[in-house]
Amino acid sequence: MLKIRNVHKKFHHIEVLKGVDITVDKGDVVVILGPSGSGKTTLLRCMNFLERADQGEMEFDAVHLELMAASSREIAQIRKKTAFVFQNYNLFQNKTALENVTVGLTVGRGMSRMQAEAVGMKALIKVGLADRANFYPAQLSGGQQQRVGIARAIAVEPDVILFDEPTSALDPELVGEVLAVIKQLAKEGKTMVIVTHEMKFAAEVATHVVFMADGNIVEEGSPEMMFVCPKEERTRSFLRRILPQIEYNI
Amino acid sequence: MELDYSFLEKTLLLVLLAIPTTLKLTVVSVLAAAPFSLFIALVRLHRRGALLRLVTAYVTFVRGTPIVLQILLVYSLLPSALKAGAAGLGLSVDVFALNPVFYAYAVFTLNTIALLSEVFRSALGNIAPGQMEAALCAGLTKPQAYAYIILPQALVSAMPNLCNLTVNLIKGTSLAFLMTVQDMTATAKIAASYGYNYIEAYLDVFVGYVLVCSVVQCLFHYAERHVGRYRLVRQKQG
Repeated sequence: MLKIRNVHKKFHHIEVLKGVDITVDKGDVVVILGPSGSGKTTLLRCMNFLERADQGEMEFDAVHLELMAASSREIAQIRKKTAFVFQNYNLFQNKTALENVTVGLTVGRGMSRMQAEAVGMKALIKVGLADRANFYPAQLSGGQQQRVGIARAIAVEPDVILFDEPTSALDPELVGEVLAVIKQLAKEGKTMVIVTHEMKFAAEVATHVVFMADGNIVEEGSPEMMFVCPKEERTRSFLRRILPQIEYNI
Repeated sequence: MELDYSFLEKTLLLVLLAIPTTLKLTVVSVLAAAPFSLFIALVRLHRRGALLRLVTAYVTFVRGTPIVLQILLVYSLLPSALKAGAAGLGLSVDVFALNPVFYAYAVFTLNTIALLSEVFRSALGNIAPGQMEAALCAGLTKPQAYAYIILPQALVSAMPNLCNLTVNLIKGTSLAFLMTVQDMTATAKIAASYGYNYIEAYLDVFVGYVLVCSVVQCLFHYAERHVGRYRLVRQKQG
């Protein structure tokens, strides 16, 4: 469904992505792992043009385009097929929870307000926040804000949802509620690409795991293969550092 | 010292009757300047090159010269320039018969464009870049993102500076007497000149400005509370 090939991206002469390929099929939950600075977030942001790649191609269903030459019309088209969940939520501060979810439907897609509110409430119910529909972001906890962020993403029924470290900014006790929502979406067969540092969660939801380091994909495969017997030493040392208990478990 | 109370009263009424002129100068200037100011603010935030240098030079020039000088300059240059322009187009317009208030609108608008652009620039700069990114990801176009997400938030953080600017402009319009516009100050001065009751006249003008500026500050206070509802809830909780 979504394929990107040979993505290169430089920031001030530092090469952050050095020719990355990634394929996402319908129903996939692709989890991208890797140390900080490995280019995971940049890759995700290149996928919906929040960053403009210097080189690379994208195939999205029937659409085929060069990443660096895509017109603003093509970019808008891709953005309407995707949704993005940010590390720091980025809820619209001047909108209530419900308005945060509906503005992409009414303003962005021309849906009637009544219809959009029905869709929006359904999305809020799904993330367990129907009772907070009329609260402003400033009145919500971090976990609640991120769940509204997820409701905002699913309401537009995107072909793929991109998650950029959705729990990294949360207090530890709030991480669970957000991960539970994402697990539920995985169960329903939603197509997702997730950058995360939550290993247990990654092992649980992923259908495909990608390990990145220094702007390259080092290794990828099924979660069983990647977590139990990774081939590359770079992957192993990363997992050892982030999952010390794995040594004892084995 | 003996004050002429009957003159004080009579002139106060005249000054109060001139409030609409002062307010008109202020409101017209701010509204006329707003779109240009927004444009300059956006250029200064997001553009490079010739356009940026041009608008920066404009803002620097306006901020770097006393408004009295701007008034004198425009008031002596603009009529001649207009006359030359009209003659060039073959029109026979008597530019010197033009109501001086239009020159006042011109000066105060040109001045406000520069000052207001800085108010907008600081307000827009305060909005986290993530708000625009989230709007684009939600399927909004850039103009839609500005209209529904960015500008409503920028307006709230601009309110205190906007109030400052408006109140300063109200006081600044007192210089319109230089262009023979009969605002509050000019009205009082003219009244005083007949019998040299300057102290009374100045006291009346004083009262007039305090009154107008107090009301405007109150209005801004309520406006800020209204457009910033979403922030107040946080303050109450915190």
